[in-house]
Amino acid sequence: MPWFRREMRASHFAFFMNVPTLLCLGLVLAYPVVYAAYLSVHRVGLAQLRRGEFPFNGWENYGRVLEDPLFWVALKNTLVFTAITVSSEIVLAVLIALLINQTSVWTSRLTRFLILLPYAIPPIANGLIWAFLYSFQFGFLNRILFTAGLISDPVNWAGNPNTALYAVAVPYIWRTLPFAIILVHAALQGIPRELYEQASIDGANAWHRFRHITLPMLRQIIAIILILRTAFAFAVFEEILAITQGGPGDATWVAAWYSYKITFAPPNNFGMGSASAYILALMIGAIALVYMRFIYRRVTL
Amino acid sequence: MTDDLIRKWDLSRRRVIEAMGGAAALGAMGALPAFAQAGGPWSQVPKSKVDRLNFVVWTYGDIYTRISKQFETDWGVKVDATISSFNDHPAKLTTMYAAGEKIDVSQSSPFSFPNFIEQGLVEPLDGLPGAADYVADFSGFTKQVAQFKGKTMGLPYFSAIWVWNYYVDMLEKLKIDKPFSTYEEFIEHCVKAKKDGVSRYPVLWVAGVGLEQLPGTWYQMTWNRGGMFFDKQGNHMLGAGSVARETLKWWANTFEKGLDIADPESLKVQFTSSAKAFGAGKNLYRGPNHHYGLNVANDPAQSPIAGKVKVLGSPGDGKTIADAHVYFLCSANRNKEWAWKLLQYLGGKTKDGNYTQAVSLAKDAMLGSGYNSVMNSDAVKLGWAPWGDVPTLLKIWDQASYIGEACSSVYQPWHFPWTDQLNIEVQKCLTGQITADQCCDNLIKGIADAKRKV
Repeated sequence: MPWFRREMRASHFAFFMNVPTLLCLGLVLAYPVVYAAYLSVHRVGLAQLRRGEFPFNGWENYGRVLEDPLFWVALKNTLVFTAITVSSEIVLAVLIALLINQTSVWTSRLTRFLILLPYAIPPIANGLIWAFLYSFQFGFLNRILFTAGLISDPVNWAGNPNTALYAVAVPYIWRTLPFAIILVHAALQGIPRELYEQASIDGANAWHRFRHITLPMLRQIIAIILILRTAFAFAVFEEILAITQGGPGDATWVAAWYSYKITFAPPNNFGMGSASAYILALMIGAIALVYMRFIYRRVTL
Repeated sequence: MTDDLIRKWDLSRRRVIEAMGGAAALGAMGALPAFAQAGGPWSQVPKSKVDRLNFVVWTYGDIYTRISKQFETDWGVKVDATISSFNDHPAKLTTMYAAGEKIDVSQSSPFSFPNFIEQGLVEPLDGLPGAADYVADFSGFTKQVAQFKGKTMGLPYFSAIWVWNYYVDMLEKLKIDKPFSTYEEFIEHCVKAKKDGVSRYPVLWVAGVGLEQLPGTWYQMTWNRGGMFFDKQGNHMLGAGSVARETLKWWANTFEKGLDIADPESLKVQFTSSAKAFGAGKNLYRGPNHHYGLNVANDPAQSPIAGKVKVLGSPGDGKTIADAHVYFLCSANRNKEWAWKLLQYLGGKTKDGNYTQAVSLAKDAMLGSGYNSVMNSDAVKLGWAPWGDVPTLLKIWDQASYIGEACSSVYQPWHFPWTDQLNIEVQKCLTGQITADQCCDNLIKGIADAKRKV
């Protein structure tokens, strides 16, 4: 039998099926990552980029980033932002997913559809929409609260350093929450109904069923959401750009905003910008490893 | 029209009289800011050939569509435009440049320009046909931006001066017969407006993050009081007791933690958005800012209080600041001769010898010109009239100095990252997180940090 008529071995077949994906990932992901690493240890401004000649400067860019007080402020804000958004998303995702999982409630179907809408909105558009909502004198949010008698003076949501980071976190959660809801909802549907029936027969109330059946069965998906959402929240950018541009003061300077400003605003220090982005990537990687080691493996074993 | 030109054209006496008569008639209607000089270098066809040209600019109405169309009609060369927002422009331009793309013409704010020049983006214009004529017509502000280390590096886009605005009806309601002429009066008026319930936030500052928004407001008020930020030798002037520091203390006191007369929106608004917000009629004064905000605040299509917003000079001797934005010939051009031709359409003369773009910007958008001849023409005198008191504006214009006089660091590549810190620290000060003294001390320390980022 000629070789091309023979059935391919499963391992070879799997390899060839993975080649296109590997190629794509290599081109669009690995290359920029490696190139950014290269830039981060060279002196790279506009003139150097144009000429294609990058003088090597070792760890100097990393040193400059780590010496910059603004980088540490941005990092602190990023950590706070990530903690707020990821924890809120997980709690809300579980609650909402439980709600829309109630097939007996007819509105659940409608909610399931509507819940996806924010996810379809481009991040920058989402930021602009919320910037209008937050407007101090003319914003919809203050208007509602005022009409409802909840406030007597307008609140400067995005312009007050005490509330600005939360003001950015809310639109971010609003946009990304559907992703988490979908995952939790899918996981909920995989829990055998018999478990609940048996528990009911044994006299378990709703809270006990949630505590001893649902939550343990969701731990794996929660761990995945934790890893993914942490990585994405660390790199938040669009809402910052549209709503606060880092202000007021440095209240919403986050790590990705820092990298952007260093790189793309004159004097266009691409080397230092790459170094700051790399530090951020390494931190995300380290956190992901911690999650994998201490949470994901534990819940999947 | 000069004798040389007449001899060159070999026109008959009758045709000269006809031409001059026609030009004078058009000039009287405001169509010509100065006599058009067809037949100058701007009307000559370059010897080389080019298929297309491009420019990279920030958005402003439809001016670029119109001028591109005119260029295509006049020269038969297609022009591609890459247009982004003002704040995104440096990133757009620099990434295109870094990626090796062809860029014939671009533009710059005065703050980015020294940096672009140092990075090799900008081609000098000296020696190009007609360049010397433009330079001879440059206004003082334009020279300080467009000429760098003795070389001419750009042609003017527009110039602007910092002025105050006030809402006439609100002043009348307060029974105050004239706007403030001292800073003490300014505070008095604002406190009264708040106390009488006429305005909850009597003053709207332009204190949004930017290169010349929040910083410009501080620069202007400091300069007006006789201070500066960096002297000509580059030494900072932010130490204890400095005018800049005292001005910041006074300014911060108008916000929530002090007199609480400043609109909290101040910390977000930019040039146009502040003019639009002021048009809502909720504030008495709008802090010193680009003069052309009147074009928005007094436009019935955009402002419910159109016609009621007046211009006001600054207290004391009326000193204020000004700046000029420029177009430049990019070193990544595809054909220098043609790129120069395109540059002139944006920042100089069109084929017919007119400053077409500068005149339409003055008439349509109230922008000041970088050319003396346009500033002295009806394009400004008549063109600005629908929006503001032109004699007052021109008087303020004469009292204005280029922003670089108040803050010489604008010529330094580290000015950009230092301004980032300035925006942060001053907003922290205005929101009561730090004092003006801490703010200025941090900014002094920040000079070294900014230099490290270059």
